[in-house]
Amino acid sequence: MNFNYTEQQVMLRTMARDFLVKECPKSMTRELEKDKKGYGVDTWRRVAELGWIGLVLPEQYGGSGAGFMDLVILMEEIGRNILPGPFFSTVALAALPIMEYGSDEQKARYLPPIARGEKIWTLALNEVCADSSCRGIKTAARLYDGRYTLNGEKIFVPYAGAADFMLVVARVKRGRLLEKGLTLFIVDMKKPGIDVDVIPTITGEVQCRVKFTGVDLSAGDVLGIAGAADNAIGRMLDKAGLLKCAEVSGACQSVLDITSDYARDRHQFGKPIGAFQIIQHRLVDMLMDVEGLHYLVCQAAWLMSTGADCNGQLAMAKVKANEVYQRVALSGVKIHGAIGFSREHDIGLYYRRVMASKFFPRDTDYYIEKVARGIGL
Amino acid sequence: MDFGLGQKEETLREEVRQFAEKEIPDGWIVNFLDEESRDEDWAFSLSISKKLAERGWLVMGWPEKYGGRGASYIEQMVFAMEAAFWGIPGLSMGVSGTGWIGPSLMLYGSEQQRLKYLPMIASGGPDGIWCTGYSEPNAGSDFANIQTRAVRDGDEYIVNGQKVWTSCAHRARWCWLAVKTDPSAPRPQDGISLMIVDMKSPGVTVNPLLNYTGEHIFNEVFFDNVRVPVSDLVGEENRGWYQLMKSLAYERHSFGGQSYGTGKRILNGLAKYVTETKRNGRSMSRDPIIRHRLAENAIELETLKMFAYEIAWKLNNGVVPVYESSRNKSFADHVLEQLALAGTEILGSVAQAEQHCKLARLRGLIQRQYLMFPGTAIAAGTDEIEKNIIGKFKLGLPRSY
Repeated sequence: MNFNYTEQQVMLRTMARDFLVKECPKSMTRELEKDKKGYGVDTWRRVAELGWIGLVLPEQYGGSGAGFMDLVILMEEIGRNILPGPFFSTVALAALPIMEYGSDEQKARYLPPIARGEKIWTLALNEVCADSSCRGIKTAARLYDGRYTLNGEKIFVPYAGAADFMLVVARVKRGRLLEKGLTLFIVDMKKPGIDVDVIPTITGEVQCRVKFTGVDLSAGDVLGIAGAADNAIGRMLDKAGLLKCAEVSGACQSVLDITSDYARDRHQFGKPIGAFQIIQHRLVDMLMDVEGLHYLVCQAAWLMSTGADCNGQLAMAKVKANEVYQRVALSGVKIHGAIGFSREHDIGLYYRRVMASKFFPRDTDYYIEKVARGIGL
Repeated sequence: MDFGLGQKEETLREEVRQFAEKEIPDGWIVNFLDEESRDEDWAFSLSISKKLAERGWLVMGWPEKYGGRGASYIEQMVFAMEAAFWGIPGLSMGVSGTGWIGPSLMLYGSEQQRLKYLPMIASGGPDGIWCTGYSEPNAGSDFANIQTRAVRDGDEYIVNGQKVWTSCAHRARWCWLAVKTDPSAPRPQDGISLMIVDMKSPGVTVNPLLNYTGEHIFNEVFFDNVRVPVSDLVGEENRGWYQLMKSLAYERHSFGGQSYGTGKRILNGLAKYVTETKRNGRSMSRDPIIRHRLAENAIELETLKMFAYEIAWKLNNGVVPVYESSRNKSFADHVLEQLALAGTEILGSVAQAEQHCKLARLRGLIQRQYLMFPGTAIAAGTDEIEKNIIGKFKLGLPRSY
């Protein structure tokens, strides 16, 4: 048993924390909420130079070959400070599945530009009538004469306006089992027939609607096995879901830090509000939530990095992340009082962003059901 | 990071399971506090204490010269979890002995005291049974306000006063007693001392106080000119408060693991029950609300497990826990409360049937837990007090009391 990070992991965390505090002030985050692309080009370039984008990619593709746990630690820091932009979509939703399911040629072609920060990626999965179970997916790729034609409409595609490429989940066959017959396609956003609109959200994260009209794809654009992508999609969403939990864990730590600082400084009735037990105990409840979430995420990540079955623990971490983020962010706003409800204060940024993480990849109830199965029900 | 248990711990788990299978009768549902109530339960618990001592488990973390075997904190935690899961009684020698009196003596007792008292606890015999005299009618959460007075008289102290809610006093051979030795100290904390009192001393009177189930667990204890040799003062005179603070973190470290074991027992019991039981012609395990309730509890229980792991790992690495014991106590109480309440909702109306009644399900486990959790949540520090400690020492918030 070991609760310690390695020396390199501690260095990574310190470096990430320092960089983000310095280079990503919340004022910039708020400015970027109005930006269609939603990220700072300069910051993105520096993030790439720091080696974050290629952190877990193999060295032969320009990465650093670090372990999954390192990426979890980095995601916690990204969540703590909030790094606006397509880091998660590029790394978790594209680079990782390409690394796992791509052919040697695809890896050699797509991974090095990702690691260098030159190409931005995302994943187009959800549809109006399709959640991440993919059962309702209607976007279809019709095969004719060795080429595919893609038609359909995707929603809540993160940072599609900034993306150079995207992975698209499309149906190539319709059979009795709705989760079967799916393919993951690599789509170059420069192709004709792709329309992107920004969906206005309450969270400040850029989400888009993407419409495909007769987009022409080749067999070489298939990632993994055509018509049998369900397992790959499941596994990539598990990994990405856990990374999202790590991001949430960091965000919750930040909310607690900001709020307990405030409770120490803010005076009412002649003393710091943190001297009142009603406030103090609320903060302690937040602390227990935050520490509990952190450890559940660490446990699931450790299991995942050993290759052990971690379905139950992953589902637990996800439910915990959803519930804790909601509770902690809400308590954060309430303890701040009116200032917490104002545009100028950082705490509201986190509160709004709960909705951006909660439903990725799927809702709380889905994971609760997974936990129930995990305890033998 | 690595959250796995080693081979040593896995073997220990298996040994405890086998021990429980052999020694604990089917249907033994007595919690660790209520083993003190009925004579036959107490006798059985003590017989198990003896066997635990023989197996080297009762005080496994203590050094060999005091009767232990120097087991790691991780092993101790695993043992606490497994023993609670299987409902093994007699673990604490009357709540106090193995849990905090032994460790406190090792921290600030004299060598003479250690050699005299520790082996008695370690052997699992009746002379190793202790009670703890902290609470008084006017000193509950406000512990520093104790009034029981000890006045020096030559080589002895003369003790006068009253303690209340003293668990196990009616079974105890010794009392770990907090007294006021300097009532004029400017801060009340600065006038407190700890001493060991022989419960057979003239002037000690124990009166039973029944709890709301009618069980005899705690007592009121009167001290009327009780003479205590100065050699039974523990540590320094008037430093009792600081000694207690120092040992607090060590005392409470096992709560998390123990509660995890108890919680796991309840969760597994409920999961089995709903799987095997039909209601209105349909397996209860298919009811989405029941699935939801149990899954939520499983998540909180898993969180408790991680907290228990963390504190054991810290102690093992020489890190002195500051707020972690309070966190684990508070969180464990929350988890056991939620589980008990979920259990009552799942059982429905039969949750009101008395434990031994024919209608009781799961051998009355849920009823027992429903009745006991408020008591265990108050004992050794209320939730509110634990949260004050966490607020002050972890979050750096002002003292709020």
